[in-house]
Amino acid sequence: MKTVIKTSNLEKIYNSSVAPVRAVNDVNLEFREGEFTAIVGPSGSGKTTFLNLIGGLDKPTKGKVIIDETDISTLKESQLFDFRLRNIGFVFQSYNLIPVLTAKENVSFIMLLQKRAKEEMEKRAKEMLEQVGLSDKINVRPNQLSGGQQQRVAVARALASKPKFVLADEPTANLDTESAFNLLDIMSRLNKEENITLIFSTHDQRVIERAKRVITLVDGSVSKDENFDR
Amino acid sequence: MNMLLKISWRNIWRNGQRSITMVLAIAAGLWGGIFAASVAMGLMDQRFRTGIEQEFSHVQMHNPDFLKDAGVRHHIEPWPEIHQKLSSDSDVSAFTGRTIVNGMVTTANLTRGANIIGIHPSSEAATTRLDQNIVEGEYLDEDTQNPLLMGKSLAEKMKARVGSRVVLTFQDANNELISTAGRVTGIFQTANSMYDEMNLYILQSDLNRHVGEEDIVSEVAVLLHDLDQAGPFAEKYQEVFPSLTVRTWAELSPQLAFYNQMGMTMFIIILIIILLALAFGLLNTMLMSVFERTRELGMLMSVGMNKQRIFVMILLETIFLTLTGALAGSALAMITIGLLSDKGINLGLVGGDSLQNFGFEPVIYPMIDNSFFAILTVLVILTALLTAIYPALKALRLRPAEAVRAE
Repeated sequence: MKTVIKTSNLEKIYNSSVAPVRAVNDVNLEFREGEFTAIVGPSGSGKTTFLNLIGGLDKPTKGKVIIDETDISTLKESQLFDFRLRNIGFVFQSYNLIPVLTAKENVSFIMLLQKRAKEEMEKRAKEMLEQVGLSDKINVRPNQLSGGQQQRVAVARALASKPKFVLADEPTANLDTESAFNLLDIMSRLNKEENITLIFSTHDQRVIERAKRVITLVDGSVSKDENFDR
Repeated sequence: MNMLLKISWRNIWRNGQRSITMVLAIAAGLWGGIFAASVAMGLMDQRFRTGIEQEFSHVQMHNPDFLKDAGVRHHIEPWPEIHQKLSSDSDVSAFTGRTIVNGMVTTANLTRGANIIGIHPSSEAATTRLDQNIVEGEYLDEDTQNPLLMGKSLAEKMKARVGSRVVLTFQDANNELISTAGRVTGIFQTANSMYDEMNLYILQSDLNRHVGEEDIVSEVAVLLHDLDQAGPFAEKYQEVFPSLTVRTWAELSPQLAFYNQMGMTMFIIILIIILLALAFGLLNTMLMSVFERTRELGMLMSVGMNKQRIFVMILLETIFLTLTGALAGSALAMITIGLLSDKGINLGLVGGDSLQNFGFEPVIYPMIDNSFFAILTVLVILTALLTAIYPALKALRLRPAEAVRAE
């Protein structure tokens, strides 16, 4: 399988007033197309920082993040905006939908930024909302949706533009068990059907149990990298 | 762009109460500002118009010596030629020649100084509409013996009425003091009570006879069809009659020229002050709006909405908010001005004659120039743009990775 993301000697040090904090320490990982990976570890282990680095939201102090042969750590800020828009899907812990847009408009939003054709956007948004089981909520605004439904819209939004990979930071942390399972079912189905690479940071055992690959970070370093046949 | 327009418009109504308060503040501010400016413009326009119509006309001609020493000796020598030229000049709407002497007016009760102006009734009426300013009695009639028009405020001060006998004392052409009696046949009132107190009118033929001259004039007043032609017209006549001093209304009364330019300037100043005050409210609203949406802005940046788009979005939100208020305020102001522009606002009810002491009519008719809307639109958009910059920069300084997790 094709390698989508490769990190080499990745390091991120934050300068605090007390002492420098090494949030990510010499991480060398490869993520292949279609993988369903959970990044786990205790609080402060560097999960979120690692996701920020491979998502182009933060710059490494040292090392490289290579996505499809592009070292994104060398890109300028404006280039990073465009790179994220074209290549990466994001799912956030707090859903972060645009409250003034309907579910369909939220799902179309990234495609709109990518200037896709209107018909294509319409079709894809409807298709994705159907995939996440919300075809009856197309014209509903986020405040009329439950937390689980909002996160499903967020997943639909992240996947609609067919990014190279999707980063999800604690996507089930705010959800009840039923909603969390429902979301995970949808995500694993989409992972298989759309062959989209999914990378989660999570504490949630329910997510970890679904992941095909589990990477454990401790103090910013990879302590375990396990593959499961699920 | 459509998407940005849609999001921006919807965003301003997310906190409806706050946006409506801001829109109302803008509307009320502009309503008050536009209305105040329309009153100021109405006031200035009226003063300008009455100044031209009742006092100065568009152009005046004098013997230069008359301007230093207002005696009948310093009359306009080429009056017949001027009369002939003005009569055939297509730019001229009306003109009149006056004889003017400084003198004393005496009634049974008092004596006061005044300008005694000898006029030709019909040409004076055509030039200054003096006949329309008669509030008591009749306008000058050449068939009446020694008729006299007295200003209302002078009449009040001298306790004179229509029918009162007055004695006028002045110097004749030989600098000899002469006195002549007349009877008040009419009382006039212009918009300027000071003018009314200083001037009285008698027949030019009577005055010329008393001073021992025939067919002389001390002053020629010309009303043109077009105010803007006053300058070229004055230059033209100055060239033809170099022995005279030919002056336009603006030279005769710099105050009127000031009023003429002041209306719009005052409006712009008032508007800028109001918009400046509103800008702080707007700034507060937009800053709150940005702070409240930190997480959302972080998400937008994370998913790849670039900084230009974020900047434009906040700019559009500010413009929408300001324009909505400005439209409401302008509409309210237009309705108010429309209602009052015919009836006018009678400030005499609260201020008595005080406005007239400064040459203003007590009834003010609010008016607004069409060019004002262009200025208003530019100023409103400029305010919105300037106000939006700081909140927009605040938004752009957010780091997406942190903002997206903000509480």
